[in-house]
Amino acid sequence: MITLLQFISVAAILGVTIVIAWLLAPYVTGVFTGKSSPLDRLFGPLERAVYRILGVDPQRGMGWKEYFFAGLFVNVAQMALAAVILTFQGSLPLNPMGFKGLSWDLTFNTVISFATNTNLQHYAGEATLSYLSQMTAIQFLQFTSAATGICMGVAFVRGFVAGSKDLGNFYVDFTRSITRILIPFCLVAAVILVFLGVPQTISGYRAVTTVEGAAQSILVGPVASLVAIMQLGTNGGGYYGANSAYPFMNPNPQSNILEIALMLLLPTVLVFVFGQMLGKKKETIPILVGAYALFGIDLAIAFIPAAPQGAGIETRIGGFYSVFWTVVTTAVTTGSVNTTLSAMHPLVILSAFMGMLIQSTPGGKGVGLMYMVMYVVITLFVVGLMSGRTPEYLGMKITGRDVKLVMIAFLVHPLIILIPTVVAYAGGFAQAVGVGTNSVGFTQVLYEFTSAAANNGSDFLGTAANTPFFNVATAVVIFLGRYVPIGVLLALSGSMLGRKRNPEAGLKTDGLLFSAVLVGSILILVVLTFLPFLAIGPILAYLQGHVNFFG
Amino acid sequence: MDKDNKAGSKGRGWVRPVVGVALLSMLVCGLAFPLLVTGVAQALFPYQANGEVATLNGQAVGSYLIDNSFTLPYFFHARPANESASGVDPDITLQEAYSQIPGIANATGIPSSQLTGLVQKNEEGVFWIFGTPYVDVLKLNLALIAMDPAYYQSRVPALSGS
Amino acid sequence: MADSGAMSGAALPDAPRRAVNGRVLKDSVVRMSPGRLVSNPVMFIVELCFFLVAAMAVYPRGFVPVATPSETPFYVEVAVTLLVTVWFSTLADALAEQQAESTARSLRRLETSVLSKKVVTKEWSRETVPTPSKDLRKGDLVLLENGDVVPLDAEVLEGIAMVDESLMTGESTPVRKAPGDALIGGARVVSDTLTARVTANPGETYIDQMIRMVESSKRPKTPNEQAVTIVLIGLTAIFTIIILSLLGLSITLGLGGDLSVLIALYVCLLPTTIGALLPAIGLSGVSRLYGRRIVAKSGRAIETAGDTDVILLDKTGTITVGNRQAVEFIPFEGHTESEVGEAAFLSSWYDDTPEGRSVIRLAHEKGFLPRELNSLAPSEVYEFSASTRTSGIKLGRGFGFILPKGDKSGKDRGRLRRKAAMSSEEEEAASEYEILKGAPDSIRKLSGNVPPGFDKTVESISAAGETPMAIAKNGEPIGIIRLKDVLKPGIEEKVQAVKMMGIRPVMITGDQPLTAKSIASEVGISEYVPMAKPEDKFRIVQAEQAQTHVAAMIGDGTNDAPALALADVGLAMNSGTEAAKEAANMVDLESNPAKIIEVVLLGKQLLMTRGAVTAFSIANDVAKYFAIMPVIFAAAYPQLSAFNILGLGLHSAVLSALIFNAVIIPLLIPLSMRGVKFRPASTMSLFLRNTMIYGVGGVVVPFVGIKAIDVLISVI
Repeated sequence: MITLLQFISVAAILGVTIVIAWLLAPYVTGVFTGKSSPLDRLFGPLERAVYRILGVDPQRGMGWKEYFFAGLFVNVAQMALAAVILTFQGSLPLNPMGFKGLSWDLTFNTVISFATNTNLQHYAGEATLSYLSQMTAIQFLQFTSAATGICMGVAFVRGFVAGSKDLGNFYVDFTRSITRILIPFCLVAAVILVFLGVPQTISGYRAVTTVEGAAQSILVGPVASLVAIMQLGTNGGGYYGANSAYPFMNPNPQSNILEIALMLLLPTVLVFVFGQMLGKKKETIPILVGAYALFGIDLAIAFIPAAPQGAGIETRIGGFYSVFWTVVTTAVTTGSVNTTLSAMHPLVILSAFMGMLIQSTPGGKGVGLMYMVMYVVITLFVVGLMSGRTPEYLGMKITGRDVKLVMIAFLVHPLIILIPTVVAYAGGFAQAVGVGTNSVGFTQVLYEFTSAAANNGSDFLGTAANTPFFNVATAVVIFLGRYVPIGVLLALSGSMLGRKRNPEAGLKTDGLLFSAVLVGSILILVVLTFLPFLAIGPILAYLQGHVNFFG
Repeated sequence: MDKDNKAGSKGRGWVRPVVGVALLSMLVCGLAFPLLVTGVAQALFPYQANGEVATLNGQAVGSYLIDNSFTLPYFFHARPANESASGVDPDITLQEAYSQIPGIANATGIPSSQLTGLVQKNEEGVFWIFGTPYVDVLKLNLALIAMDPAYYQSRVPALSGS
Repeated sequence: MADSGAMSGAALPDAPRRAVNGRVLKDSVVRMSPGRLVSNPVMFIVELCFFLVAAMAVYPRGFVPVATPSETPFYVEVAVTLLVTVWFSTLADALAEQQAESTARSLRRLETSVLSKKVVTKEWSRETVPTPSKDLRKGDLVLLENGDVVPLDAEVLEGIAMVDESLMTGESTPVRKAPGDALIGGARVVSDTLTARVTANPGETYIDQMIRMVESSKRPKTPNEQAVTIVLIGLTAIFTIIILSLLGLSITLGLGGDLSVLIALYVCLLPTTIGALLPAIGLSGVSRLYGRRIVAKSGRAIETAGDTDVILLDKTGTITVGNRQAVEFIPFEGHTESEVGEAAFLSSWYDDTPEGRSVIRLAHEKGFLPRELNSLAPSEVYEFSASTRTSGIKLGRGFGFILPKGDKSGKDRGRLRRKAAMSSEEEEAASEYEILKGAPDSIRKLSGNVPPGFDKTVESISAAGETPMAIAKNGEPIGIIRLKDVLKPGIEEKVQAVKMMGIRPVMITGDQPLTAKSIASEVGISEYVPMAKPEDKFRIVQAEQAQTHVAAMIGDGTNDAPALALADVGLAMNSGTEAAKEAANMVDLESNPAKIIEVVLLGKQLLMTRGAVTAFSIANDVAKYFAIMPVIFAAAYPQLSAFNILGLGLHSAVLSALIFNAVIIPLLIPLSMRGVKFRPASTMSLFLRNTMIYGVGGVVVPFVGIKAIDVLISVI
């Protein structure tokens, strides 16, 4: 249970973040609707130069297939580039620590993991990656995966905008989301983070003699720039193996709160952008209310047990903010952690599962919005019939094909979470890395694949899962979990283009009544799909009296 | 629309934008941006940007943000490495600090009341309604050394070695 | 009025009665064969599960480690429950089919087999050949004389006659039929003679079409049914993955789960309720429409009707009854109001149309009771003829008026006659004369010359959208009866209901703007199109659709056909032309235009019922999880009994959930076939109401039901 003061502080952090997101949303909307802005003078020539180099016509719109495959192919090319850097880092510059290249399977896992905004890490960066790798593989992919997510989300929204003729141009959206959103936002965030104590240097680890005379290496590096994009871009991959528990990534309570806000910022901004791009600001209501109501439920579950203390908890952060962070990082599928997940109470882990299984509370930037609209469509279809009309969303009739696409998107998750989990045990792969067959062990394996499927990236196993099975299995799960739903939902959006719409009649989605129904239906859908597995995982751990996952 | 897609996916025009955007984004996001931040950080906040290095007698003895691995009885100790999430947690709670006072007082002869005052003086972590109080062990021990330099002269290499 | 009461109270009357009989039982068992069941994927899987559990019961040893030989009785119980679940679903299908067939049978009674007079041209003359209706073909000519029955749907070629269509339409007043008008097979000619051309072969009339659609076992799924089926298949796929994963985990982690319990959970989670009832719901929706004597050419049209946003209502026939009512007697110079009133009274004595009755009522109200009623007798009665468009009476000395034959209001007239007693002197003075009443131009033609006020009065009444009727005494026009439109009973409520559901009613009328406005505002319609010609409907539908509205309209004339074809929901009157019926996607056999509103309600009811059962079915799963989950791994994880919030026994939990899952199907059959009850209300309040009942109720009810079954099982 939490104190009143803690409740107020959580409410204040969330409230301020939502207000800032609301203030930033018109700018972000302008970026994607081509609204002229004073910044055009700065970015305009730069972007035009990029289009010339790429040989793309920025005016040419794309259908969903072209948009999606442009994004997919660009992502694959980026994976390839990053793979080259990681494999050959030993012979490349900016490697003062002299780290060797990564194994093929770890490289495969890492590039897919980072290019998809997942950031599941089966390595500890400080002991594995050169500065060049941290920058041109990790930070690079963190930017591009975030940009890709934003692009897909924005393209998705365009399909629903009345009068849209296409989903936009991927290259233009990608360029603008980097130049006008991610780089400026991250620059500001990175400088504040440095001010708060996060290092930013490329001059090598510093050897010192401690007060007592022992040798110590201070593992500094270009950390602040990475933390900025990893949190803002809901990536989550850490510079260090301990992620945001490592003091250089999260030096004090101030940085901790800032990073929580950074994680929530873009997903929330895009929720507002949705209504603004549609020209119906009230349509943001069910998305926002639905997302934050579910997030509130997650928080309420996580705060039931007493906050953990001691083992696995960073002193400057404390148990309460470790729990809060854990809920946030799974709710927006960031996956950064400021604690040891094993220190968390089973109910906190249950709450984390909910965030990752729902994926839209408010979810990863862009993609969380897509998932929420997916839930809106399926909810409207199932309950909307009860209003005596063929269900409509934004005045457009929901057809059998729409339902088919939504069901495919919905089906992906159980398929790629449950089957690999069973295989991991059946093949003895889980047991081989020391994971038990009890509720604690099962939770850890289920979490691994849930996190991979949801493109979250937090995990219990960490470097222990650096085995060919887990590297390849999670990489495949990550890839499918990222691109299948995005592709299918873009197809849904593409089919909305030019669809006949009837703006006046039908079920109103822009109010609290529908928001409440939406929340109920999401809970039922997710509970129906995953309850038995949560029951023999975190819930059983709780019923068996575990208070954490050590041992 | 379909026609466009076919033209787009089969035409020669595909390779250039895909490879081009991958390379450009790598250079901009992976190289230019971190280097730009490094430049700005080193210019504006060099202390933080280099890891908040603590010095004693002009020598770098560690980072305030990283556990300094104190083991001797006349210092405050952080928790053992494997008890925190990072393994390098530089901070301890006030209770932990207070619980170590009798031992330190016993070893150094500094009165407990002064040590209690020292811990209170170095308390940090709470602002407005946020955060929980803690003390940075390195900061606390450096203050401890400053409290009785004569006692620590022979016991701390950075002091004795200079 | 055939539709009266349809909207009052809980909106829609029940569908035809149904009952389980031997034929239905047999049919339901036949339907359980896997070959037939495969078209219903959900129930097919349940049947496969039955075979699996049955195999476990027969040879449990073959299923170790997911079966325990000592549990054989339990496997038998589970298998039986699964089989009953399948049977309940086929029973629902069989019942719905029976309901549809009985509707079809009742419609078939309308089909007539009569000997009719086929016209054959022989050299210089025409002859008629007695021919059974089944031997007539499209294009044949038939002669229809007074008293003849129209053998098949036909079109009038020559002659004008009154035709009684009450068997089809329920409207007792005979309808005037002129060349070009359509005749419904089964109608009866009650005056004059017609020559008509048959427009449909035997077996191709609308009734036949309807019967075929009801009886066809291969009804194509409607778009909405297809979409629901996709959801069901998607959910089935998800639950299949879940159960296979649980099975895999149970084996690899050594949790000792029992296959039959997993199968029970699987079947409980599958959307069996909606899966079982989906076909019945669709078929019953069609049957309900047919029960109201509306032929829909496709199930899709019914669903579209539920989506209507704008209804184009023809004023005449929909908002107002075709007949008008007398409201004023206007005398010409030299005559008094009472003179006109009494003359009108006498001329209407034998006129039993609503208009004639309204004249008598008005005269009575005003005290214009003609004394002649007892002193003079009608020497001749001129009944209304379609060609002269007048009716009247010639009076002579006699023993007073007799009451007209077959008079609906005979009692009233008898009372009026007694009232109008005359003194003997007055009787002496009374003399013979003739009164005619009719359309002003007909009276003008008969009279030759008209008094000065004639044209002005007629014009001013017409200009206000009302109907003037002239009265002439011995050939001299003495005054005008002003007749006004009469609203259909209950039309205001219907319009109100339509508006409440977010549908815009638009009134279409040929009237002057002022008249149109006054009638529209009287019934609460704010949008109306005055002085509209039938062709204008096309333009109106087009304009509405351009604004992406879903438009419903009615029509009967050839002029309406393009608009009927264009409209999303086009309801043609069976009395209308062939072209209109071909163009529309529904035909009302009763030719009652007001039924367009009912069509919309039925469409909504169909969608609502399907949605309600779907939501209920999915919501039920929550409770079933709570019932079965503690049992799955009870041996390995006794702690999971925390989920057993209902306090169920191990075996009885599984059986209770399964039995609930099975019996909910027959319990919902009546709802599925009758449709969800609803009152017209806004989309949002319908949604809220149904969500509370079937969504929230769907979560709560199974908790109660499963516990109740568990208690019953423990008692047994």
